[in-house]
Amino acid sequence: MKKRLMVLVSALSFAVMCMAGCGETGAGQANAAGGEAAGDKGELNLFVWTEYLPDSVVEKFEKETGIKVNVSTYSSNEDMLAKVRSEAAGAYDVLQPSDYMVAQLIAQGMLKELDFERLPNFSHIGESYKDPSYDPGNVYSVPYMGGAGAIAVNTDKVDLDITSYEDLFDPSLEGKLVVLDDFRAVIGMTNKAMGYDLSEKDPAKLALVSDKLMELKKNVALYDSDSPKSALISGDCYAGMIWSAEIAMAMAEVPSIKVIYPDEGAYLFFDNWVVTKDSPNYDNAMEWMNFMMDPENMAMVLEEFPYLCANTDAIAIMGEEYSSNPAKNPPADAIAKGSFVENLDSDILELYSDMWTKLKE
Amino acid sequence: MSGKTSKHEFRSNTLPALVTVGPVALLLLFLVVAPLILVAVMSFCKTDEYYNVVYDFTAANYGKLLSVDYLKIYARSLLISFTTTLICVLIGYPFAYIIARTKSKKKKLLYMLVIIPFWTNSLIRIYGWRSFLGNSGWLIKILTFLHIADGSVDLLYKTGTTILGMVYCFVPFMVLPLYTAIEKLDGSLLEASSDLGARPLRTLFEVILPLTSGGIFSGCIMVFIPCLGYFFVSNILGGGNTDMIGNLIERQFKSANNWPLGAALSIILILVTLLLVKIYQKLGGDMDSLGV
Amino acid sequence: MKRTVKEKRNKGIGIVFCSAVYLFLFLPIFVVVANSFNATTTKPYLSWKGFTLDWYAKLWSNSSLLESFGNTMLIALLSTLLSTVIGTLGAVGIYRYKFKGKGIINGLLYIPVVIPEIVIGIALLTIFSNTGVPRGMLTLILSHVSFCVPYVIFNVRARLSGYDASIEEASMDLGANRIVTFFEIILPVLAPGIAGGALLAFTLSIDDVIISYFVNGQTKTYPLKVMESIKSGVSPDVNALSALLLLGTIGLVFITQSGILSGKHNKV
Repeated sequence: MKKRLMVLVSALSFAVMCMAGCGETGAGQANAAGGEAAGDKGELNLFVWTEYLPDSVVEKFEKETGIKVNVSTYSSNEDMLAKVRSEAAGAYDVLQPSDYMVAQLIAQGMLKELDFERLPNFSHIGESYKDPSYDPGNVYSVPYMGGAGAIAVNTDKVDLDITSYEDLFDPSLEGKLVVLDDFRAVIGMTNKAMGYDLSEKDPAKLALVSDKLMELKKNVALYDSDSPKSALISGDCYAGMIWSAEIAMAMAEVPSIKVIYPDEGAYLFFDNWVVTKDSPNYDNAMEWMNFMMDPENMAMVLEEFPYLCANTDAIAIMGEEYSSNPAKNPPADAIAKGSFVENLDSDILELYSDMWTKLKE
Repeated sequence: MSGKTSKHEFRSNTLPALVTVGPVALLLLFLVVAPLILVAVMSFCKTDEYYNVVYDFTAANYGKLLSVDYLKIYARSLLISFTTTLICVLIGYPFAYIIARTKSKKKKLLYMLVIIPFWTNSLIRIYGWRSFLGNSGWLIKILTFLHIADGSVDLLYKTGTTILGMVYCFVPFMVLPLYTAIEKLDGSLLEASSDLGARPLRTLFEVILPLTSGGIFSGCIMVFIPCLGYFFVSNILGGGNTDMIGNLIERQFKSANNWPLGAALSIILILVTLLLVKIYQKLGGDMDSLGV
Repeated sequence: MKRTVKEKRNKGIGIVFCSAVYLFLFLPIFVVVANSFNATTTKPYLSWKGFTLDWYAKLWSNSSLLESFGNTMLIALLSTLLSTVIGTLGAVGIYRYKFKGKGIINGLLYIPVVIPEIVIGIALLTIFSNTGVPRGMLTLILSHVSFCVPYVIFNVRARLSGYDASIEEASMDLGANRIVTFFEIILPVLAPGIAGGALLAFTLSIDDVIISYFVNGQTKTYPLKVMESIKSGVSPDVNALSALLLLGTIGLVFITQSGILSGKHNKV
């Protein structure tokens, strides 16, 4: 009886799916036909952060160049590294690693040198963003956007006067925080809260940090790197340590949300475009990078994802509203006080990884 | 076709056996046996500083997995799976009983209604729960309208929410085997029991439950084991702070870049599974009723 | 008299209880359908901004969503076809012939069924990665075949247990060779089991998330596309596609079920 019903049920779903499939194939063919015209110049496989690259910009690039772009997304540098390493060589052409990860990818020989002959738009990049310590001379990377792991607070819901990472450990915030699902960011923040270095390497100090994390554990309701603004907007979380531009987006929806750069100095990041060593579409990758450094295109990105931008001419297009918003364009002193994540030796990194497991158990 | 060849074919079973069983054997060899052996081997390996797996024997991964932190995660995973299974039995049994023994003409429809939710992608249904339970979801709107709650409900991102999601995913897997078992139950036995003066509760414990225990066992196995590995439910509803064994494994392969540790965790999960299946067989469970 | 009152009360409790369970099962589906009409255009698409049918139109221009759905269909069809052929042959072979290692094969078939999917997923990822098979359509299909074949075999085997091998001998005695016998005699007997297995395989394939998640490379299936969209808030057009699929299936069920019910006398 059961089996017969199961068969019947599956048969019907089969029939429906086939019908739906046929309808879809029609649409798919139309797409394929359109795509053929668009795909004349081959493909480009992008691997980028979630909520960091607007679809509209990708569509514009496809239209202008006739290159078919495939976008996949990741949630942390480590996610990206894991996926790139486990895939066959050349599966992705262009990646978007943060500062310390660029250095790591260079060290592992996973990147290809850039051809600046083909990147005339590099001239739009601000001088202070050129020649970064993680890639001296911009041999392998060009800067995209960055920001801070800043503090967001919904002042309607939280009475506490929050000024530092340390304040996020306050017991009154129990079960109310959203933090990035990123072990370097969360452990780094805790290091800072205890007065240590963002990338603390002393095992004795890290043992204390591990205990401190247990206090944070009680407060954290949600770990989310992809769209941490959602929980703030929906009112499921009242405060947290999240990407600065995500705070800007939450502020636009809920005016009582405020951005705070911590007293201890914020966790900073800067993301970059790089090309993988075995990229089969190097030419298209160059075209993409140059396209993304065009001020007009970069301004399109900033409209949707208002992060700290390396493209000085794009900032000029954005105008006052962008420049004066501290969540969109972090103030100079917050940047000066903040610090970037450093690469760690594998034994220390394992310690971090264990602390993270303990935090999430 | 000459009589000779036909006779030859008739006698030799090697070729037909090879043609029929060969593909399955190859499939099992390359896509089941070899991968699992590789995982077992990898669980005894190290990684170098660039996260490459180094084939160099070490038992360190297992040593690590015996630490208190990991034991806590197993304990919690087992507890969550156990609670889920228990709730599934408590909801699923009376439910399956009622729909299996109903005399209504709509019985078939009632059965179908259990299966229909399956046709909507499971992730989007779990996300449906998230948007329903959240502080800007429908639940709070309804409760506020009824003046039961005001402002917020705070139901998301708790262990209980993860369990709710798990129960939601697995209740049908409990109901279906129970339905089959209960439907086979001979109604005259129940009447006999009650005619002989047994109170309903006694009939339940001495007649109904023993006769349907097979359904309960296979339902429990079909809920408990996959529950241990369903990492996305706790990601979506638990907020990432109710890690289970499945989340740990996923993280080693997807972001922590420690495949050997993930492999060791998987081996432990396999051992737990095999142990449970052995117990199930000892209790007289039928392997085939797990399959369909 | 007293007894009927009690029975009525019990029946009432039963109806209330079952309705509650059905409500539990369908609640998130109502939410999915409701969200597909949400006029909100800003992520994360959570707050209700009024009723609209726009998303049902916008759906058809979301090419990546449609592409993922096409992939799912293609993978499901191919892996169903392959696993049905392999599984049917295998079930017949295992049943008919004596050979070394039969017990091992029988035992191994249960592994993909009982071992948690995540373990199968990482094991396949490991082997594909170590042997340098590029992840994508091919690995997705291979993986789906590997977990579907056992279900096909179990279904076909259930038919075989009632199967009388003497008709096969009779066929061969009458001069038919093995291949003819297989197609003319064995297959028709097994047809319902094969169909059942194939349809189960199809159902498993289209809804698989966990195993696909590990072996997909850059190819996105519909469930993986949903998983990705969950990261930044599921947009109402994804809900709209789910709602359409559900509506289609339910509609067909009711049409066919009433058809089956009315045509029952002729068939049996």
